Amino acid sequence: MDRIRSSTIGRSLFRSPDRATERDRAAGHWANFFLHIYPVKVRREELTFRYSAFLGVASLVLFGSLVVSGIYLMFFYVPSPASAYGDINTIQNDVAFGQYIRNVHRWSAHLMVLTVAAHMARVFYRGAYKSPREFNWVIGVVLLALTLLMSFTGYLLPWDQLAFWAVTVGTSMADFVPFVGDATRTVLLGGGDVGSATLLRFYVLHVAVLPTAITLVVTIHLWRWRKDSMLEQGGDQ
Amino acid sequence: MSRRERPSPQIVDGKRVLGIVPGTPAVGDRKVPASDDLVMTSPHLLVRHAVAAIFVLLIVLALALFFDAPLKDIADPTNTPNPEKAPWYFAALQELLALFHPQVAGVLVPTAILIGLVALPYIDRSPRMGSGTRKVAVTTFTVFLVLWIILTIIGFAFRGPNWDWVWPWEEWHGEL
Amino acid sequence: MSNEMDRRDFLSRSWKVGAGLIGVAGLWTTADLLWPRVDAAAGEVRTVAADAVPADGVIEVSAAKAYLTRDAAGEIVAINEKCPHLGCRVPFCESSGEFECPCHGSVFNRLGEFREGPTPRGMDRFLVTVVDGMVIVDTGNTISGPGKGDPESIDEPPAGPSCSEGSGHA
Ligand code: HEM
Ligand code: FES
Repeated sequence: MDRIRSSTIGRSLFRSPDRATERDRAAGHWANFFLHIYPVKVRREELTFRYSAFLGVASLVLFGSLVVSGIYLMFFYVPSPASAYGDINTIQNDVAFGQYIRNVHRWSAHLMVLTVAAHMARVFYRGAYKSPREFNWVIGVVLLALTLLMSFTGYLLPWDQLAFWAVTVGTSMADFVPFVGDATRTVLLGGGDVGSATLLRFYVLHVAVLPTAITLVVTIHLWRWRKDSMLEQGGDQ
Repeated sequence: MSRRERPSPQIVDGKRVLGIVPGTPAVGDRKVPASDDLVMTSPHLLVRHAVAAIFVLLIVLALALFFDAPLKDIADPTNTPNPEKAPWYFAALQELLALFHPQVAGVLVPTAILIGLVALPYIDRSPRMGSGTRKVAVTTFTVFLVLWIILTIIGFAFRGPNWDWVWPWEEWHGEL
Repeated sequence: MSNEMDRRDFLSRSWKVGAGLIGVAGLWTTADLLWPRVDAAAGEVRTVAADAVPADGVIEVSAAKAYLTRDAAGEIVAINEKCPHLGCRVPFCESSGEFECPCHGSVFNRLGEFREGPTPRGMDRFLVTVVDGMVIVDTGNTISGPGKGDPESIDEPPAGPSCSEGSGHA
């Protein structure tokens, strides 16, 4: 590995070939796109399981799994009442590994809601929402809401009885929100009742709007995590 | 020229040794690492994150192997299934909706929870972190969390047709 | 503040106002774009002959998503199938002679008047007219259901067992 790193191509790729001293490794860290979302150093306690239970990481991994399995499903799914249900059947019965990919997507979604909620609880009990991390906690609450919305919009897509009525009941709650409730519900459903417009709208939210939003907000969340961590170490970051 | 011809630097604990001076260190002898000592992220934190990631992925891949995602009959607007269950993460909300006016259960409670969560770090300003030293915050949060978990379990597993009480070991109506 | 505004002030304000305007225009466009067209489905539905509407039970007219029955005075009433609570379709239970919502257990009498459960009011109704002996239901014209505290206008206690097994209510 050291030989690869110090070759001409290796140098162009990694920029800093040496990894002997901490200074070398810090330089390599900053030069790596994927590593630079991490602080260079962390407090030793952050290495332990009881510090974070790695639940933030787990949420991130599950989000990744959802994106990958979701793209696979998109190749076989058309969001219209005439075809959605049949497409799911086709995925399960005729597409190679279709059922398995659908299972992965479903289980990742359930688990992500669980890990995000548990991550929040862990952060709370550790008191990690305190200064200077107040705002990252707020960003976290936004992420929790986005995660729930993501799950809820996805729930409609199979267009089975479970999906249809869960969304009917869920969106009817909006009726009771003063002033803006009716309008919100009408725009969300694309009409008075759950129908073809609703399926299309939920699909667009589920595969385009919400994942983009989550990606953006998670990026800010992690960036703040690094900044806040370095702030605490007395750095000027 | 090739780096192999340079004199090999002496590295101890990730630091280049420039020279050795006799005597005791000014900061005293510290053999036991303190919890807020700084360590390099790479590799110490990275390997742990990698292990956590692989562990989570394995769980998902195994669950997906053994449990198939459900697919009921095609959506039928003229026929509501009985019982009608929301996804499990909204089961607590659905349980509340069966008990209180929708303006309370469906609007007031969720809004209050969201606002409460957002406001938390601005209300609890004391710099102390340990959970023993902020009893009010910890108690409130715990009460809400436990209530929410209980409501979720009731709504998910203990409710049957017409939202009547059932024992899950007699009739199972949970849907994932 | 003086009336005079120097060039620097003016420019710095203009770009903010400009950005604001673009933002508002964007929001406006988005809202308008997403606002659904008028629901063509709602309107008058010709259902059944008036003679067919029972006074001791209900008949369902799926084309209008409604039930037809008669009130104490013998007038035809069209009841919206949708639960006023959260929109589940409420089936009529023949054995008890009540409407029983499967979602959160709201119960209504034969006229859709409130009996129990978390619903905020009785079942909503549609405007009904009888033309040439045929019942016309105007699904575009909903009348909010009778209030939760209103007394029932018919005296019909549950005729028999409810349709939900192991029921917690009468
Ligand atoms: C999409 C959902 C989320 C993802 C992917 C995510 C990811 C992460 C990751 C990777 C970390 C750093 C490592 C760790 O502590 O495990 C972190 C830290 C943190 N998260 Fe989240 N998170 C999410 C939701 C939330 C929520 C819902 C909250 C709370 C309301 C929250 C609050 C925090 C805070 C305050 C930190 C800093 C903790 C510290 O530095 O000790 N996050 N998050
Ligand atoms: S939808 Fe009928 S009781 Fe809730």
